[in-house]
Amino acid sequence: MKSPSQALLVFVSMLTAATAGAQGPEEAETAALELIQNKCLVCHNSEARTSGLDLATLDGALAGGAHGPALVPGDADQSPLYGKIAAGEMPLGNPLPRKEHDIVRRWINAGAPWPRALTQGEKRSRDGPDWWSLQPLSESDPPALQNAPESWQSPIDRFIHAEMEQKGLAPSPPADRATLIRRASFDLTGLPPTPEEIDAFVNDPSENAYERLLDRLLASKHYGERWGRHWLDVVRFGESHGYEQNHLRNNAWPFRDYVIRSFNDDKPFDQMVLEHLAGDQVANGNPDVEVATAFLVAGPHDTVGIDNIEGQLQKRANDLNDIITATSGAFLGLTVHCARCHDHKFDPIQQADYYRMQSIFEGVHFDQRAVAKTEQIQKRERLIRPIEEALERTDKELQALSEQAEPLIEQQKPSIVARYRPPVDAKGTEEAFEPVEARFVRMRISGTYRGTPRLDELEVWTSGPKPRNAALASAGGKASAASTRKADDDPKAYSVDHVIDGDFAKRWISNDPDRGEVTVELARPETISRIFWSRDRLGGFQKTFLGGVPTEYVVETSLDGKSWRKAADTEDRLPYTEAEQDELILMTVLDADGRRRRQSLLQRKKKLQAELDAIPKLPTVYAGRFEQPEDPTRLFERGNPMNKGEAIAPGGLSTLENIFPRFELGFEAPEGERRLALARWITDDRNPLTPRVLANRVWHYHFGRGLAGTPSDFGYNGERPTHPELLDWLAQRVLTYGWRLKPLHKEIMMSAAYRQSSRYDIDAANIDREARYLWRFPPRRLEAEAIRDAILAVSGKLDPTMGGPGFRLYKYTVDNVATYYPRQEFDEATFRRSVYHQAARSVKVDLLGQYDCPDSALPAPKREVSTSPLQALSLLNNPFMLQQAVFFAERLSGEAREPQDQVHRAYRLAFGRAPTPEEQAAAVDLIGQQGLPIFCRAIFNANEFLYVM
Amino acid sequence: MLCRHCVSRREFLGDVGQGLAGIALAQLLGAGTPSAAQNRTHHPAKAKRVLQIFCPGGCSHIDTFEHKPALEKWHGKPLPGEESFVSFQGKNGNLMKSPWTFVPSGESGKKISELLPHLGKLADDMAFIHSMTSKTNTHGPACVMMNTGFVVEGFPSAGAWTSYALGSENDNLPTYVTIPDVRGIPPAGPANWGAGFLPAEHQAIVFNAAEGIRNLERPASVSAEAEEATRKFLGLMNRRHAEAHPGNPELTARIASYELAARMQLSAPEAADLSQETAATHRLYGTEDPNPLQAAYARNCLLARRLIERDVRFVTLYCGSRASGVDGLLNWDAHKTLQADYERHCPILDRPTAGLIKDLRSRGLLDDTLVLWTTEFGRMPTHQDGTLGRDHNPDGFTVWMLGAGVKGGVSYGATDEFGRKAVENVSTIYDFYATVLHLLGLDHQQLTYYHNGIERRLTDVHGHVIQEIVDTPA
Repeated sequence: MKSPSQALLVFVSMLTAATAGAQGPEEAETAALELIQNKCLVCHNSEARTSGLDLATLDGALAGGAHGPALVPGDADQSPLYGKIAAGEMPLGNPLPRKEHDIVRRWINAGAPWPRALTQGEKRSRDGPDWWSLQPLSESDPPALQNAPESWQSPIDRFIHAEMEQKGLAPSPPADRATLIRRASFDLTGLPPTPEEIDAFVNDPSENAYERLLDRLLASKHYGERWGRHWLDVVRFGESHGYEQNHLRNNAWPFRDYVIRSFNDDKPFDQMVLEHLAGDQVANGNPDVEVATAFLVAGPHDTVGIDNIEGQLQKRANDLNDIITATSGAFLGLTVHCARCHDHKFDPIQQADYYRMQSIFEGVHFDQRAVAKTEQIQKRERLIRPIEEALERTDKELQALSEQAEPLIEQQKPSIVARYRPPVDAKGTEEAFEPVEARFVRMRISGTYRGTPRLDELEVWTSGPKPRNAALASAGGKASAASTRKADDDPKAYSVDHVIDGDFAKRWISNDPDRGEVTVELARPETISRIFWSRDRLGGFQKTFLGGVPTEYVVETSLDGKSWRKAADTEDRLPYTEAEQDELILMTVLDADGRRRRQSLLQRKKKLQAELDAIPKLPTVYAGRFEQPEDPTRLFERGNPMNKGEAIAPGGLSTLENIFPRFELGFEAPEGERRLALARWITDDRNPLTPRVLANRVWHYHFGRGLAGTPSDFGYNGERPTHPELLDWLAQRVLTYGWRLKPLHKEIMMSAAYRQSSRYDIDAANIDREARYLWRFPPRRLEAEAIRDAILAVSGKLDPTMGGPGFRLYKYTVDNVATYYPRQEFDEATFRRSVYHQAARSVKVDLLGQYDCPDSALPAPKREVSTSPLQALSLLNNPFMLQQAVFFAERLSGEAREPQDQVHRAYRLAFGRAPTPEEQAAAVDLIGQQGLPIFCRAIFNANEFLYVM
Repeated sequence: MLCRHCVSRREFLGDVGQGLAGIALAQLLGAGTPSAAQNRTHHPAKAKRVLQIFCPGGCSHIDTFEHKPALEKWHGKPLPGEESFVSFQGKNGNLMKSPWTFVPSGESGKKISELLPHLGKLADDMAFIHSMTSKTNTHGPACVMMNTGFVVEGFPSAGAWTSYALGSENDNLPTYVTIPDVRGIPPAGPANWGAGFLPAEHQAIVFNAAEGIRNLERPASVSAEAEEATRKFLGLMNRRHAEAHPGNPELTARIASYELAARMQLSAPEAADLSQETAATHRLYGTEDPNPLQAAYARNCLLARRLIERDVRFVTLYCGSRASGVDGLLNWDAHKTLQADYERHCPILDRPTAGLIKDLRSRGLLDDTLVLWTTEFGRMPTHQDGTLGRDHNPDGFTVWMLGAGVKGGVSYGATDEFGRKAVENVSTIYDFYATVLHLLGLDHQQLTYYHNGIERRLTDVHGHVIQEIVDTPA
């Protein structure tokens, strides 16, 4: 099955090679037509005819579409086919490199020879190993410029300006300093600059004022919180399991701290990759680093147990798919997950490549593990070893003792059992006693089989010829309990009323894990002689599955509800479980000496166990549990785990084989070495993808859009870079800087392209609406976290505490599955930066959820920016907003006396500028009529507050 | 064609940036006018909106809508070929007949469980798909799969896709609403109505008759007068800002979103005000039923109708919630005590849902509203070992649809004689949604959105329109 696809790859690469090297007229013709076939026919084919245009034939091109003829043979400049390509508008979202523009131009100018109809086939719409992103990093020098302003001379600016010139665009003037500091502060720290910081920068006369600003921001601890949050998006980090149960992961946060710390320390990214994939291998015994493997299991994981094998295999396959998706997307910008069921339809990734990666991760399990310093581990080991050995010895002695007693047990068991009443029965147990007059009956439960006591019915029967169940509510009975579990969504779900309702499907559950007490008050004093209780009257459960069965209890009666007398208890019943029954029988058959011996051994065991429990456990982190896989990984035919194909050894992807060899390990390779080998392959200096993807991500967060618009997909379906040479140049810089990001940030932010204003220009917009070619700085809305953090910063309540367990904007309850209730009140513990929110999967909290905060079920390499009325409602009406508006108002009254000064201060804090006289007047008016908090609420809702220009 | 090659909303807004005044505000927010919406379909639509009724927990097909007489004969005997078969929760016992009689219903005489007498009367309207299959036997993934087409979380729900494709026809209400059961949200919660990787505006807005839209109401601490003054001042600030920064249509869109929010503050409570309904209507749904759960669901049904009537594009109505500590108590997950569980759940579903459908019909709304009934998966024809319930069965179960464009009284596909596996016209959730989208005027292969390397679809890379249940006028 390998050969056809390989043949296809060769074929495609030949085609594209011909395209690239076109020289003579015939080659130009072939290359141009193939280009149209590969790039245009996807939309402009004879069937789809997007915009009415069919480029399959010369006639179609001449006839054109909704915008007139597409082709004027002999005149490229008059041919929209060329014009659209040259302007980068076509193919939409996937502009062609300049040398391909020239191919089309020369071909049209040569008369556009078009001898055959073009057909669109699958083989034409995919890429081979010669795809742009799979090539070694080019070493192009920044172009020399003639027309660029003096300030546009940095290498980055020269690349940008050259493309702009090509498009007929010109850069914008520099942004003013107030705008610039707001832009840079949000960019690097996610927080607004304070008025004092703005003043200091705006009034700084020194030439390197801006550079020093960048240095200050890059050194800020908030930098790691801001850029760490970006990275957490990319690696789908969430702090709950997701799916049905969605329990919280309370020990995942050390990974978040690791990420923030690593960014703040400017740890080389190649080192981070090693740590993400194999922290346990490169830093065993160093918890601060080892926790990085939490990356592997940062995604969702279904914790519901499945009994059938298909379900188990499928679930496991989905877990591994999550790891493969996250790894290949985050570091390589490859969509290896698309090759799970078949070879990748668009990129040169074989199905075997997917399973090579699966083989690498085959030993990774979604779980926590102990992560501790080597000394800590050794110390604990030293402490527990002697105890465990003593426990083992004790168990052996106990074992020997019971073996000795076996013949006696055999002999005496029936007679011993006969001395006791039968064990309680969850389907219904009767306790009969001498007739007694009673108004109250209570059952005090002091022991259960497996967990919290439950009853579905408690009947109290009168004596005499026509016994009645006098407990029934319909007979006037009333029930009460010492405690009752409460389900948040249905407070009556486990009510004690269920024990006297005659309905066996509903049950009472105690709220005390070990004990419970139910009292029934009869309508009037009655003569009673038995009770009958059940835990599972309907018999829906197997005995071993059924928990909460009362096994030890006392039944008491009373006339006045004050003085009680015992009617029955469980002392004389056989114990509930077989193990307890065996213990009883064993203790009965042993002689006094044997009993003493057994008792003392049991006591010793208990003591040893307590000693063991008293030794502090090693801290655990949800950082994955590793286990050597037993069997070789097998390819799943059509992705179906029940359909196992050939064995696949752990190894690197064939995708880059043309550039540098992929590794392959043996089937038996230790699982940790597999991950380490992959990490080394990913960070190999010859691997062009890793630095390219990284450089593009950095660019993406600075400008709101990557040079390639799909940061985790550098394949055929992704967008091709607008500035491929610049991207490679930046990737080279990543290597030059030793994979450190801070110098790269600085270099990008020092560019004139970054420092220009976001002013609007209709002519430029008509050419390049989204400013992909950076004729202006693209303005953008703040992300959800930055909005919330900015509100706290401006209200003066932001708690800058870093690290440790996160805070929660929800109330968390668990009753088998987790339920999250949005909070309505917010205490100071929640005033920390949003990156410290314990973000549970698929739980949209107010504000963050509405403002496109990803829910971390899947990687989010870029965020959507949506606008909806729910955003408005949450910013206007959520209690958090009202509370912060009050705090902001308190702050303003503390910092300024007169309303006009308060307005001035508010504008400077929130927008980084002074109000205009008109605004000042309107604001003072509003404060006068409605008070400061109303004004503050309005400020938080202003567009200016939410947008960075 | 809806795809990434097409003009993005941002680009669209850029286009109109210079002539913004002439554009309806709602349109700026992706909520097109009716004519604009029709332009976005791929072919003429039969349905304009969708009401999806969802029974979480896994509703047993063989105890409700698919009659299996063989179970009576084979009751107590091992399932041939799968004796002691292990499914989700463990070993299965022998075959177990349905505890209920199946009653011939409608002119078609379709046999429907006696537990659902009111829905049974509507059998002639329904197109049953008895051969539905799912990819998973686990609640969370199955619920998400039925809503999004994927077992993993993070994909857009059918409602979000519909919102993305067609936008809204109502300027004052959300496009997509989820009405959770009063008992709580279904397994996997918001993943069932999320926008996934689509923009957040396409996620459902969640509320029911008991609890309104979050943050909708003006807080008590803000007077009407203060609110008015705030809006005025905000308007001034935003206008000045937009003037200082021309060419940024998102700023204008955000101003418009505040106006839509204000309109929603008026319209949503009005839409949710059930007191406007006549006593007869309340009786039809059973909103005063002595069973508080049934009454609560009936009120949600009535709310659903009021939303559909006001042109909300997609409404999902849940009957049952997530699992609780006790299987089968809060939803259709009858592992241990089938009889008690379904005698609790069926009446809750039956009369209110039937009332809702009748009401939609009498108001002419069924002409352009598509009604879906779905669940996570079916249940085993055997009893679960040691219990009187049934385990999960994703290999064959029933869903149905009725209303706009649907042929009534049709039963498509079937499971084997016991109800264990779909054997005739085996259907997938992709087929189901291919059909739903088809009725909405959309080609499921063309409705795409780029994410992480793939032009994603609601139907993944599968799906065929089930023509047999589509009503084609003669």
